[in-house]
Amino acid sequence: MDDTPILAVTGLRARVPGVDLDILKGVDLAIRPGEIHAIMGPNGSGKSTLAKVIAGHPAYEPTDGSIDLRGEDLLEMEPDERAQAGVFMAFQYPVEIPGVSIANFLRTALQARLENGDELDLFDFQELLMERMELLDMDVAFAQRPVNDGFSGGEKKRNEILQMAVLKPSLAVMDETDSGLDIDALKIVSNGVNTLKRENPEMSVLLITHYQRILDHIVPDVVHVMVGGRIVESGGPEVALELEARGYEEYRNVHVA
Amino acid sequence: MSQVAVASERQRRTIDRSAVLKAGAADPAWLRTRREDAWDTYTATPMPSTRSEEWRYTDVARMLPLEELTLARGDDPEAPYGGALPEGLRRAMEQDRDSAGRIVDVDGSIIAVELDETLAARGVVLSSLREAARNGGGEIEALLATEAVPASDGKFPALNAALWSDGVFLRIPRGVRLERPIRLSRWVSRPGTATFTRVLIVAEELSQVSFVDEILSPDFEVATLVNTAVEIFARGAARVQYVSLQRMGRGACYLANQRTLAERDSTLDTLNVALGGSLGRVDLNARLVGPGANSDMLGLYFGDTDQHFDFNTSQDHVAPHAHSDLLYKGALDGSAKGIFRGIIRVHEGAQGTDAYQTNRNLILSEQAVATSLPNLEIGADDVRCSHGATVGQLDPEALFYLMSRGLKRGQAERLVVMGFLGEVMSRLPMGGVVEKVTDAIESKLGYV
Repeated sequence: MDDTPILAVTGLRARVPGVDLDILKGVDLAIRPGEIHAIMGPNGSGKSTLAKVIAGHPAYEPTDGSIDLRGEDLLEMEPDERAQAGVFMAFQYPVEIPGVSIANFLRTALQARLENGDELDLFDFQELLMERMELLDMDVAFAQRPVNDGFSGGEKKRNEILQMAVLKPSLAVMDETDSGLDIDALKIVSNGVNTLKRENPEMSVLLITHYQRILDHIVPDVVHVMVGGRIVESGGPEVALELEARGYEEYRNVHVA
Repeated sequence: MSQVAVASERQRRTIDRSAVLKAGAADPAWLRTRREDAWDTYTATPMPSTRSEEWRYTDVARMLPLEELTLARGDDPEAPYGGALPEGLRRAMEQDRDSAGRIVDVDGSIIAVELDETLAARGVVLSSLREAARNGGGEIEALLATEAVPASDGKFPALNAALWSDGVFLRIPRGVRLERPIRLSRWVSRPGTATFTRVLIVAEELSQVSFVDEILSPDFEVATLVNTAVEIFARGAARVQYVSLQRMGRGACYLANQRTLAERDSTLDTLNVALGGSLGRVDLNARLVGPGANSDMLGLYFGDTDQHFDFNTSQDHVAPHAHSDLLYKGALDGSAKGIFRGIIRVHEGAQGTDAYQTNRNLILSEQAVATSLPNLEIGADDVRCSHGATVGQLDPEALFYLMSRGLKRGQAERLVVMGFLGEVMSRLPMGGVVEKVTDAIESKLGYV
């Protein structure tokens, strides 16, 4: 595989605007095309913040460092530009958009990717949507429902996976996608990610999680441990297993140093 | 000499008693009397002021200088309309795919009426109200400005009853069910004028009709008034849907007094859509006068720049075991104002009433203001009633969510607004306007 990272995070610091305290305190991370990285860490370690800063969430302000996506400065881009550049974040808490169907939302998202004046062909879109839903083994009626409105936790996560399948990102950031899911829903989500990964082996995945269990279903190439706003250890899948056995306690002292 | 001519022209078209006499010159005696009585009511009724509860947020005397307006049809109410169909009106009419009948009003005169022949043969009447009042029998005398929107209702209903130039009479005989809507297409062209029109709809027992009342105009540099009185009677088990689609230009002031009377087991639904004009005020009173009657009352408004929309609604449960459900939703941008004031009145003896009222507002800018005043007045003990109001802003989390999928900020905002307003359209039972309203909102969103 290409050795040039698709995503290079260097010395990244970030905070909530107006709060004089960095949540991210110098994060370094490089993900190469096709790699699956997991970031694990206790609550409040900053792992979700990292996901949101990569996606461009306005509630976080980068104060130092850089994020490069294939050499482009991601921090200079609006959230929609990042999406168009190939970033997709699956939300921990997907937002309800009443009155807007999933199909309409996705059609608008694809339309937005076209040059000005180009019109998305409706039949092509329908065909793509059907094909994607079939791939994920989803009922076609699902796409007619309003985005996340009245969805169960599992349905919301399935919707995230469907969007990912339609938008075909080169970097998928999964922000605690596994939290609050029962084992069946967890399998559906993992199967979805694995299916998309098989389809496009070049897709990179950054999996943010609190628990080891999703890593039984989506096998990472690299596992990072994040504590106190820094990555304190990186290694293979065995790191996750050790964490499962020993917990985060031993790292608590590391970030004080 | 030319000064004299100007003065007399001015005099001929001013809102005064001589205009009432002129408007009624060719009317039957009962109607002339009714106009003159209405004028007396008008002069005896003070102009609504912001000191009154119902007009607190709309200073109509300031926004609409009546004394500066001339009557659109004051010069010669009898003169036939000679011009071509205005271009803007023609375009709007071309968007209407299906209709069972249509009637066209330009500057307060009916200029064309078309009705499906088979419906006409079955006794459906669609005509100029002016002609119907002159040629028709006692039905119009009994129903025009009496039970529904009489002069005694207020300053503007009185002025309308005195000065109305024309309007629509629609009568659906017993058991006749129209599958396609009847469409009224209106156009106002003359800046600085006042136009007074009326709509009278009688749906006999077991009949069905959907009526779409669309009004358009160019932009005006001076205040230009359209006042309309809408009277709708749904007899036993009839189904009626009335839709008002207000897409006038800036400078236009649209004042509507609507009253619906739903008799036993009838369904009488309304939708008020306000998109255009500078001032829009709708007074809607739904009266449920027969047991088992049902009224869904929908409203949708989208204001920008300095548009001012004011809805004053009431749900009068006179009969027991009737149902009414109101949903008004509005989005406000620029420095637009939206006022919703609604009351559910459950009259004594109206047991088993089911009445609901919801007003929701989405504020898109710092200067836009929504005022929501829901109210209940309950005079019976076995009732189910609820009311609620919300004023919210675009959720930044929702915008980020949509943008994170590649939508530009403007596209994300448009999608959220469409979704918000779309709920109202999804509840329209008989359709006929959804596509048109959606297009109108989308084009307005594109313009914003």
